[in-house]
Amino acid sequence: MTPGLLIKNAFVIDPLSGVKGEIMDIAISNGRIVDEAPRDAEVIDAAGCLTLPGGIDSHSHVCGTKVNFGRYMSPEDMRAGRTARKGVMHVTSGYSVPTTFGNSYRYSTMGYTTVLEGAMAPLEARHTHEEFTATPHQDMLANTLFDGNWSIMEAVREKDVKRAAAIVAWTLAAVRGFAIKLTNPGGTEAWGWGEDVHSIQDLVPHFEVTPAEIIGTMIRANEMLNLPHSVHLHCNNLGVPGNFRTTLDTIDLVPDLNKERQSLYLTHVQFHSYGGSTWRDICSRSEDIARAVNGKPQVVMDMGQIMFGRTTTMTADGPMEFKLFMLHHNKWSNHDVELETGSGIIPVYYGRKSLVNCVMWSIGLELALLAKNPWQCLLSTDSPNGAPFVKYPEIIALLMSQRLRESERKMIDPRTEHFVPLFAIERELDWYEIAVMTRAAQAKALGITRIGKGYLAPGAEADVAIYPISPDQVDPSVDYQQVMAAFSRSRFTIKRGRVVARDGEVIVEGANSTIWSKAHVPPEYDMGTDPEFTKKFEQYYTVRMRNYPVQDVYLPRGLRIDTEASL
Amino acid sequence: MRVILKTKPRAKPRIPIEAEEIIPQNFLRKNDIKIFEGNKERSLDDLFFVTREGPAVSPDQVEVILTGDTGVIKRVGEYMNAGRIIIEGDIGMHCGNFMSAGEILIRGNADAWLGREMRGGRISCEGNAGHYCAAGYRGEKRGMRGGTVEVKGNAGDFCAEYLSGGEVIVHGNCGDMPGVEMRGGTLVIGGDCLRPCGNMTGGTCMVFGQARQFLPTFRRNGSQEAEYAGKRYRMNVFRGDVANRGKGTLMVRG
Repeated sequence: MTPGLLIKNAFVIDPLSGVKGEIMDIAISNGRIVDEAPRDAEVIDAAGCLTLPGGIDSHSHVCGTKVNFGRYMSPEDMRAGRTARKGVMHVTSGYSVPTTFGNSYRYSTMGYTTVLEGAMAPLEARHTHEEFTATPHQDMLANTLFDGNWSIMEAVREKDVKRAAAIVAWTLAAVRGFAIKLTNPGGTEAWGWGEDVHSIQDLVPHFEVTPAEIIGTMIRANEMLNLPHSVHLHCNNLGVPGNFRTTLDTIDLVPDLNKERQSLYLTHVQFHSYGGSTWRDICSRSEDIARAVNGKPQVVMDMGQIMFGRTTTMTADGPMEFKLFMLHHNKWSNHDVELETGSGIIPVYYGRKSLVNCVMWSIGLELALLAKNPWQCLLSTDSPNGAPFVKYPEIIALLMSQRLRESERKMIDPRTEHFVPLFAIERELDWYEIAVMTRAAQAKALGITRIGKGYLAPGAEADVAIYPISPDQVDPSVDYQQVMAAFSRSRFTIKRGRVVARDGEVIVEGANSTIWSKAHVPPEYDMGTDPEFTKKFEQYYTVRMRNYPVQDVYLPRGLRIDTEASL
Repeated sequence: MRVILKTKPRAKPRIPIEAEEIIPQNFLRKNDIKIFEGNKERSLDDLFFVTREGPAVSPDQVEVILTGDTGVIKRVGEYMNAGRIIIEGDIGMHCGNFMSAGEILIRGNADAWLGREMRGGRISCEGNAGHYCAAGYRGEKRGMRGGTVEVKGNAGDFCAEYLSGGEVIVHGNCGDMPGVEMRGGTLVIGGDCLRPCGNMTGGTCMVFGQARQFLPTFRRNGSQEAEYAGKRYRMNVFRGDVANRGKGTLMVRG
């Protein structure tokens, strides 16, 4: 390990520390940012380079069983994006579902140092953690699925928030998860019974609870446990024309329970902002959604932007993927995780000739441009559902340049403008807002500023991304090509005080850590000894309770965030 | 220009050679054609006696002739878009992958994956072809999209799998499942075959020999005449594969 690092003359934007573009030096020692660099520190001259905290992706699918199944079923995807072994870099392949090293290297060369895996089924956590260790250049976090958890739904039915909280605490600690993820709450379970829920007030069959009750209970349970992140919600009715009403209803549910961050994180909202009633008259309702979010600071959303081209969709939302399969009749997979959740995977192609796809493409951008507060709308593609994350630089350029959006307009279906407000929006985001939307807001929303993520003040973890572009000299609305090039290839990516990638090439073997949270509950709320809860394992699960928790050997560098539950 | 490539004797003649750079346009523009022998990178001269005759100004005028022990050479003609390749003996796997124009003539037998995902041009094989002749590769939903593949001998299993355009003609017999997952184009089988056209959704397949183990998911749809090798035959016409909402046409000699 190098003794220290001094980044000189950097043009720094660090929103969490209130730095909005200053030329300054950053000193690093022992993996942390410090006031003064050690005397024998290595010096990096970052003159004329945009310097930001390391990128954080707050919702991406890169590890775990369903990602791996995407790899199995798409051998044609593995033919794309092949790179040979080079230096410390392993062979990689794949475009929308690359190998783990492929994911890690591509994120790293884009300046990303922390990635959250959007959905981990608790029962299949081991696989996810094994793939985390093979994604060596990013610190990883795993959102854990609770949307169809039988024990949770029974607690919701009994209106026992404390019991729900206790189950969450036990499960998160057992599977080394980071936060609560709800994917189409109730819907996936209903689909397991051959049914579905169509609004947040529909009853889940056999459990007699509504999605609204599940969401409400889980938000309160989450705050009781004082978990770093809020509930991470993939709303009901994803991809259904007219689903913006469901999304608005869901936003209305959100109480204000946390002073420091949001109480609900809505993910890939683009897929949840459709008007109309069929695929023929689908239109954008991004304005309604953005207005609701603007008026509700307790909510944070991410874009879920789609980009044209080929990709693979994968989600725990089984029914939605089944509907997509009925539409495309292409290869498809659905999976049920006993007592917990489900999943589905299909490959898709988003085309500029498809009006529906053009409307979807517009909605994501509109959400980012209409949300007044960049801290409330984060940049994401729900990778790889909307597009693989390698498209982020293109999205940044689209948000920063109206001219680029206009040139895209000429290439997409000409009817699009009748269905979307995008081309009437003149706003162009600036460098500061982009810095917020790609790292600072993520760190704040995930609650990981407490472990030093997302900022560059002394004491922070030394994750830095240095991009070869000078905000003084480049006008992003005209030179969008340069913006894209700079964000796709950082000059230096520094992870925990070490240069890991330089000019698009990874130069060291990584050593990431896996961040998980443990809420300490009073002994009477320890589910490990709860008769009702243990009976679930004896009666229904195919594994014994003592074999269920993930052993420490799966997390060679686990980083635990402890919280004290107020039960 | 005519380029004659004669294989040199090798110490280990069974090590396969991967030669995707042997395509006519490369002999016009490229001086260092690289070829892999096993996992070792070699130059063209290491493995072949190279003779170049005459001038050429465009790739159309380039003719590459491969002779000698050519049966272990893979991927000849990959992404070829002009000119002509003549193979005097057998050829290895993946000959003519993705080719879009030009012509490949094989005087011997071809191994598996002949003309896979071809876009255009013409491949003639005077011997037999291996499995997956004119097919799509693993996972790819659209296989061959254009051009012509003609096999004088027999073809192996899964001939013209995922065919979605162009024409495949096999004068001999086909193995198991020819035309499976077909969605366009034409497949003509002069001889017998086994279980043709499972899951087909479009295109036309004609079998002038016997179709054994005929799948039950095809619906009889009258009969019509078809011409093959200068003779006219009465054909039974089927539509299917109804198991997959298919609208393909399968004709079998009556």
